Amino acid sequence: MNTIAWVGRKVGGALVVLWLVASAIFIAIRLIPGDPAEAIMGGPGSQASAQALAAARAEYALDQPIITQYFLYLGKLLTFDFGTSYSLKQPVTQVMGEVLPNTLWLSLMALLIAWLLALCFSALAMRAGRIGTFVGNLLEIIAAAVPHFWLGAVLIMLFSSALGWLPAVDNGTGRGLVLPILTLALPLAGFLTQLMRDSLTEAMSSQFALAARARGESRLKLFWRHGLRHAALPALSLTGWAFSSLLSGAVVVEAIFARPGLGRSLLSAVLARDIPMVTGIALFSALVYIVVMAISEGIERMINPAGDPR
Amino acid sequence: MNEQTLITVKDLSVSFGATPAVKNISFSIKAGKVLALVGESGSGKSVTARSLLGLSGGSVTASELSVCGQDARALSDRSWQKIRGNSVSMILQDALMALDPLRPVGREIGDGLKEHTNLSAKQRKQRVLEVLESVRMPEPELRARQRSTELSGGMRQRALIAQALAGNPQVVIADEATTALDSQLTALVLSQLRALKDQGRGVLMISHDLAQVAHLADEIAVMRQGEIVESGSAEQVLNDPQHEYTRKLLHAVPSGVPRYASLSSSGETQPSSAVGVPASGPLALAVADLSKSFGKQSAVDSVSFKLPQGKTLGIVGESGSGKTTTARMVLGLQKPDSGTVELLGERFAPGSESQRRKLREHMGAIYQNPLGSFDPRYSVGQLLADALSRGKSKRASEYRGQMEQLLEQVELSTNLLGRNPRELSGGQRQRLAIARALAPQPSVLVLDEPVSALDVSIQATVLDLLDRIQLETGTSYLFISHDLSVIEHMSDNVAVMHNGRIIEQGDTTEIFGAPQQEYTKTLLSAMPRLR
Amino acid sequence: MSRTTKICSIVVIGIWLLMALAPSLLAPGDPLAINPTEAFAKPGFAHFFGTDESGRDIYTRVIHGAGDSLAIGLAATALGMGLAIVLGTIAALSPRWLDEIILRVLEALYAIPSLLMALLIIAFTGPGVGPAIVAVGLSTAPGYARLVRSQIRTLKNSEMLEASTVLGRSTWLKVRNHLIPNALKPLLALVTLGIGQAVIWAAALSFLGLGTPPPAPEWGAMLSAGRTYLHLAWWMSLFPGLAIVAVAVCATLIGRALGGKVKSL
Repeated sequence: MNTIAWVGRKVGGALVVLWLVASAIFIAIRLIPGDPAEAIMGGPGSQASAQALAAARAEYALDQPIITQYFLYLGKLLTFDFGTSYSLKQPVTQVMGEVLPNTLWLSLMALLIAWLLALCFSALAMRAGRIGTFVGNLLEIIAAAVPHFWLGAVLIMLFSSALGWLPAVDNGTGRGLVLPILTLALPLAGFLTQLMRDSLTEAMSSQFALAARARGESRLKLFWRHGLRHAALPALSLTGWAFSSLLSGAVVVEAIFARPGLGRSLLSAVLARDIPMVTGIALFSALVYIVVMAISEGIERMINPAGDPR
Repeated sequence: MNEQTLITVKDLSVSFGATPAVKNISFSIKAGKVLALVGESGSGKSVTARSLLGLSGGSVTASELSVCGQDARALSDRSWQKIRGNSVSMILQDALMALDPLRPVGREIGDGLKEHTNLSAKQRKQRVLEVLESVRMPEPELRARQRSTELSGGMRQRALIAQALAGNPQVVIADEATTALDSQLTALVLSQLRALKDQGRGVLMISHDLAQVAHLADEIAVMRQGEIVESGSAEQVLNDPQHEYTRKLLHAVPSGVPRYASLSSSGETQPSSAVGVPASGPLALAVADLSKSFGKQSAVDSVSFKLPQGKTLGIVGESGSGKTTTARMVLGLQKPDSGTVELLGERFAPGSESQRRKLREHMGAIYQNPLGSFDPRYSVGQLLADALSRGKSKRASEYRGQMEQLLEQVELSTNLLGRNPRELSGGQRQRLAIARALAPQPSVLVLDEPVSALDVSIQATVLDLLDRIQLETGTSYLFISHDLSVIEHMSDNVAVMHNGRIIEQGDTTEIFGAPQQEYTKTLLSAMPRLR
Repeated sequence: MSRTTKICSIVVIGIWLLMALAPSLLAPGDPLAINPTEAFAKPGFAHFFGTDESGRDIYTRVIHGAGDSLAIGLAATALGMGLAIVLGTIAALSPRWLDEIILRVLEALYAIPSLLMALLIIAFTGPGVGPAIVAVGLSTAPGYARLVRSQIRTLKNSEMLEASTVLGRSTWLKVRNHLIPNALKPLLALVTLGIGQAVIWAAALSFLGLGTPPPAPEWGAMLSAGRTYLHLAWWMSLFPGLAIVAVAVCATLIGRALGGKVKSL
């Protein structure tokens, strides 16, 4: 498949997925029993004013037939109009524009750190003896199983309360970013290490590794030239998933460390049952997932144009 | 020619922990000569080869181990690295596995130069192209940039050989370099090895098949269980073998052995009771105009053949020639685009599976890898009971007698009934697969590469078994293989497939004696023969 | 699965079951009993894990919390996995076009991060234990469904089933004798791995104040309460968290011993 066709297929697939997500959300809103306008404005408990309800009806064209509503809704999405947050009285797009960079930055840094940690540990694991392997194995499993909300608390207790090295809340110096990033990165690193180590071991004991050794390559060069790529490949193909789990984690981490971001906005929107805000963020994170997925697949294609070697 | 000795090995032993893999063997490799080390899997031949590169991974002892003038008995890994790829290099078995699928082959070839020379990147690239040209790689500049997965089988083999030659080594070790290749690729590798020999290099060829080495080797050493049981000049070992084991290996090579003559022992295959096969009566299998394409790619193109009862039709062709797709359509596992399959005079395909089901008991199948076709949860007994049950009660005890009979028929011990097939050897598994296929007493067996994964001597016993069963039960075989010598020995009639078509078919002796098509002639000339 | 792993797994599952079904055997106290004079007691002999802001014994609460936390995790896994098995099996066994449609829908649902999906569902339903179970179950289903589908598809195209076809077995016999039994074991591994994840997700919702409301002794809710006093009473956060990690690690270990891959989650 040539590159243009590949990009075309990717974009097409992404649009289909986004369309399906949007449709699912549209259907879900209509499935809530009672007045959709009321649901949009926070449910029956929110005591929305008649004026606000009328505004919502107008905005979502609720007096129109449902098919018309649907296409109007899709049309708005195409112009990046995700509606108006009723709890913040601001367009959803604007709110997201303000908080999104924080979350993306946090997640990207965490992804990077997790990758570095995983690479280092997998490389170290190649030299480990039996006991080392066992301990490493256990540590990975524990790291991968630790929930963010607890890890964050433990890190604060350790580095902030007990040792006083790092602030628990961002004070603008950047040092406040260390703990949130670690909280997000450690579980992912544990998970990635398990993956990378498996494929690294497989690669280093493969026929092509033997052939490379027979050409006179040292173990170290074998690792650099061959091992790394093979270790990175399966982990790379999971980048989309990893990023998605980081976004999940960010909701919790932003709550613990009191950082403004997508997750915090989402949480307060959920508590206020601010449907436009919540659906907007969900749609947007789906978009982010798809973009990250496409990028990681692009990189994968560069490393391995023939597709899955196994 | 100067007969310089490049590698001398005396009393080499290699062991892994307490398990000896190689015991006190001695040989030498001379410039411009080919030494063949022949033995079955587990004989220690690959370990021997690797210990010449310091890569055996076990503990090595020898009274002499001299590699290109160096005493290699106590070399550090660093010193070995100077030898590997530079003085001695290795060609591994499977080109797809032996070249890193994630790196361009040009880089793989150039890596050795990076280790052993001070050439600049540009000079290295030049040298890589030279090497690729020397192995007659088409479009070397383009191929150097591609990864092994993007190359055709032949190009991949050439790249594999090229990566061993980049450092201009004095000795090349070919470890099963021709195993599991179809005949044209085998011929390609053999001619490349011959070129190495003519360039004055020493070649150590490792194989389980005497026929593969017969025409190239100057000397042959036969290994069994870590020991060299016989060695000498190729002529002497092939024509006047002294050791019984060598004779057994030679005997197991099927090429040129008449139909039904035993491969595993001398003499004819003796059926315990032969059945007369009716001369008239319906054909076992009649296939007419079978075609199948996948997308725009035509896989099988109007294939027709007839298989009389009690006979064997061999279908031979290279990988990708459409043999397997044909077999799957005959078995009703793939719907043909057009054409018909008749089994014992009745329509088998196309048609609905429910109609086909009542005919199914007349046709069985044997695959190359039998393990994949067994339910992993089943023991040998459960597997046979399932086959005998015809879909009814599955209680193994009811079929005890029949199961034992089946196992005896395929020469397996009845003690195996409680074992899991995973614990069996490759040959035993294939026998079990045959037993299972025989359970419903079929008239036709479709055998798709049934012995391709087996060592020559095991292959011989399985082929003998198939012969005996045919004589005893009158079962017809549709025998599919890429191996011409197996086909020649097993078939009454042969069909040669190429690019989805049968380009030639007829009596086996006629086709093998006087092929009409150019393609068949090329195939046959590439066929390794002993006799 | 080796003998030792088997025994270990059974012991571990036994301990969890004991904690969940008969917590009073291990911790006879009342998990809700308030004793303000003993608020913020450090871990010691009187209170193994210390006490919280109202003087409730953390040890008693962690033990008694096992029931709720595990039940929510199990219920959510049952819901998610049940849905996944139905959808995945239908997709795997149906003709190409239907498979393609189901796959696309699953992919779309998978594109929303799990916790965000759970929050989305709670935004519609409002907070509570029931919604938390539904949210965790539904949000994990798409991922599992994709795995179930590919697993069954691999089996469906296996030479094993082909061999059975050649022997003339009906579709029903093939499904009953080979497909279902061979699909069960990997599914069991997946379910085990899934329980660990579900416990974490459910606790996360409680932690965010959207699941089990305080003062119930649910681990996530306890952590949520402990957060306020992080600098003052570290034990309030440490021990409930350790309980969650222990469950998740055990589930991972048992799931892996059953042949599950980490990759699958």
